[in-house]
Amino acid sequence: MNIVIAGSGEVGFHLAQLLVNDGQSVTLIDSDDEILSHAADQLDVRIIRGDVTSTRILENAGLALAKLFIAVTTSQSTNLLACILAKKMGVQKTVARISNPEFLDNDQKTYFKGIGVDHLLSPRWLAAKEVLRLIKRVSATDIFEFEEGKISIIGFTADQSSPIAHKTFEEFYNQYSDQHFRVFAVLRGHQTFIPQKTDRIMPSDHIYLSTDLKDFQEVNSFVGKTLKKVRNIMIIGDTAVAKDTAKILDDNFDVKVVIKSERVCKIFIRDLKDAAIIKGDPSKTDVLVEEGLEHMDAFIAMTDNSETNILTSLMAEELGVYKTIALVDNPAYTHLSQKIGIDTIIDKKLLAANNIFRYVRKGKIEAIASFHGVDAEIIEYIVHEDNKLVRKALGEINFPEGAIIAGVIRGSKGVIPDASLQLQIDDKVIVFMLPVAIKKVESLFK
Amino acid sequence: MTYINYRIVIKVIGLLIFIMGIFLMIPSLTAAFYEDIVLLPFVKSSALCLTAGVILYMIKVPVKDIRKREGYLIVALGWIILCLLGSMPYLFEEGLDVSLTDAIFESTSGLTTTGATIFDDIESINPAILLWRSMTQWIGGMGIIVFTIAIFPILGIGGVELFVAEAPGPTASKIHPQIKEVAKRLWYIYLGLTASLIFILHYLSGLPAFDAINHALTTMSTGGFSTKNDSIAHYNSAWVEYPIMLFMVLAGTNYTILYFLFKGKFQKLWSSDELKFYLLVLFMCILTGSMVLFGLDYYGLEESFRKAGFQVISLLTTTGYVTADYTSWTPGLELMFFFLLFTGACAGSTSGGIKMIRHLVFFKTSLIELKRILHPRGFMRLKIDGEVPQSRITMHILVFLLFYLIIFAIGVLLISFSLPEIADPFKTAVGAVATSLGNVGPSIGSLGPVDNFADLNQMTKVILSLLMVIGRLELFTVIIIFTPYFWRVK
Repeated sequence: MNIVIAGSGEVGFHLAQLLVNDGQSVTLIDSDDEILSHAADQLDVRIIRGDVTSTRILENAGLALAKLFIAVTTSQSTNLLACILAKKMGVQKTVARISNPEFLDNDQKTYFKGIGVDHLLSPRWLAAKEVLRLIKRVSATDIFEFEEGKISIIGFTADQSSPIAHKTFEEFYNQYSDQHFRVFAVLRGHQTFIPQKTDRIMPSDHIYLSTDLKDFQEVNSFVGKTLKKVRNIMIIGDTAVAKDTAKILDDNFDVKVVIKSERVCKIFIRDLKDAAIIKGDPSKTDVLVEEGLEHMDAFIAMTDNSETNILTSLMAEELGVYKTIALVDNPAYTHLSQKIGIDTIIDKKLLAANNIFRYVRKGKIEAIASFHGVDAEIIEYIVHEDNKLVRKALGEINFPEGAIIAGVIRGSKGVIPDASLQLQIDDKVIVFMLPVAIKKVESLFK
Repeated sequence: MTYINYRIVIKVIGLLIFIMGIFLMIPSLTAAFYEDIVLLPFVKSSALCLTAGVILYMIKVPVKDIRKREGYLIVALGWIILCLLGSMPYLFEEGLDVSLTDAIFESTSGLTTTGATIFDDIESINPAILLWRSMTQWIGGMGIIVFTIAIFPILGIGGVELFVAEAPGPTASKIHPQIKEVAKRLWYIYLGLTASLIFILHYLSGLPAFDAINHALTTMSTGGFSTKNDSIAHYNSAWVEYPIMLFMVLAGTNYTILYFLFKGKFQKLWSSDELKFYLLVLFMCILTGSMVLFGLDYYGLEESFRKAGFQVISLLTTTGYVTADYTSWTPGLELMFFFLLFTGACAGSTSGGIKMIRHLVFFKTSLIELKRILHPRGFMRLKIDGEVPQSRITMHILVFLLFYLIIFAIGVLLISFSLPEIADPFKTAVGAVATSLGNVGPSIGSLGPVDNFADLNQMTKVILSLLMVIGRLELFTVIIIFTPYFWRVK
């Protein structure tokens, strides 16, 4: 598939990387020489230097033959204009990165679709939604439902006090042999792996299991200590993403926002309903402590400085805040998070790139899900007639390394597979796969 | 932990050797058309390559990254190894009776598309060997690595590193986002042009099929091996010379431009400064040559144009066919042809040498420097195709020119010491080095168009072979390996 990406910044580059690894033909347009040659050095892409809203440049990029045009420069209006032009020049689908989340409203979306912008995304809105998900996860467990809950995927963190900590997975299965579930992935640090029977469960592992049970209460006992209910949240930062996050959390939690500049305070107070707004320098510890940092259940650092965010989060951690989240601008930092003790580091640009990548891939597959921090995909496929998979028991199939079948939906029933299960035509198969296995799995189900 | 991923280097070289083994099977096909062909030399060489290739390819590679260092190492080592392996048929063929050095020289001269030969009497050699000679040029012309990238899905970005190391033009314009597709398109154009030339030479010019095939292979690769002792002069026919002239010019054109030509995007042709410069230089040299030849009454008007045109195009595109002995013309013309050994045609073509784009950049940069003397406050930048290239590229090209001259000088020095008793030693040494480094073929002095390289001693042949590889890979790919930085983390 020919894909043209306008803007080779953090989002564009990361997205190009994902797409190239997926085997797509990617052309990058940018006006900055250095950024472009860096991209050409690292990736198998074609580069074109120039203004992304120039029709001559767009034509050079081979837009007429491209399936997809993705505008991810930092300027919202440039992106929208480029998308409109691209659509007029014959590209099939367009995606624009925007900053104002208001554009994402449904009636606005239809309007944009009418003028040629098919998909909109706002990195800061994605970040805000991600924070909401993370906060909700603290007080519950991750649940993804496939086909209205015929198969559910549940993620939970095993605590030190958990009854299953330090056990091998075999012991774990034996202990709960009357239950239908299968552990298919473990997130340890920033590493995701598919566990073997002999692997041991370590405290603070985040464990994903699949089950065909509608209401799987048992999982709460795996977790260990009683789940903490999050109420009070402190957000710091003068940024738009802080405002969006506050807005999205405002309905369900008690939110306090610490803002440095008075001008920004005025904007926040206009846009937020109930949140308490504090004018003070969030990089100063005493300001935060005075505002009751140690009584917070969650702390979210969203200033425009990555280092401030990491350091204040560490401090909050030190003071016993249950959940800390730091926003960073540098992808290299995202790997640090667990090592230095912050619960979560999020990078809105990586989020945006991943989001678009999912949008691109969505056309090919039934359903797709992803978990924060897990560098892997969960994709639902349908078994077709000419698949190599049918008429053989799962144990005999040479399934790609780094991939595992989490569940199978047959008719109206969910099945948790074991080695003896035989796939049938029209079965829906939910596959968990690490990035290395994606291509192999895809060819298996083609 | 070693800094360079040697395993992947070995694996990819194994793949290259395997492909060489497959190519080595093709000359056996001549047995179907000719009697007295002994297949054994090719069967042996091919079997050796295939086995060695498979064994090396089986090596387990935990990390599949080909980064810059691995890329350069694969290409430089790969080329040297293939040049050595390509000599096997010459050694195994009993009637030939060539020494090891001679066989390697012939093989290297073929793969690097130089076209200098050590055979005295080409016409007495059997067709299978002759076809192999021409094939080495054809494979080396577009590059065996470009071929590999087109056919085997070599590991994403790794392919780019290899591509750049083998076809290192100063401007990298991708005609498709994926390197594999770029390589495929280049080979399609190459194949298509070769097939057309075979057709033209056979049906229009009336050459026997075998001659047509061989000459098409060596024309499109700008190689210059012929199946006749007198090269193209053997046919003494305008019907053969004009088509070959046209296709030599095409072979010397940037393949990106040819791609746009076939796509019907003619405006791209006229926006290419290099193409215009290339045609202008060709035109000027042909004009000078034919005027001198006509003025001094060597030939009639048409023949002056044809002889001068053929020789100029052949040398400028680094092909190296001859239809006349330019060293027997006036000394002025001999000197002009000596200079043509340094030009090269367009970047991104199959030709060797310095290449037009570098001359053009040098020329334009010099003009700008002159202008600066008059306008000290003027803000002036070099422009190619209407755009300002990265300043790094200008520097890169100027350094390339300097390196070229330095290597030329060192080469001449080494050759003059090792040269045997020979007439005109100075001229011969200068010419031999220029023609090897530029991958041209014929030279001046005792190695003119009617002579061959058989009488040189072993040392000279080894040095010249090395110069050919250095020239084919455009200096940096080979030189960089000999720098200490290459082997250090720093």
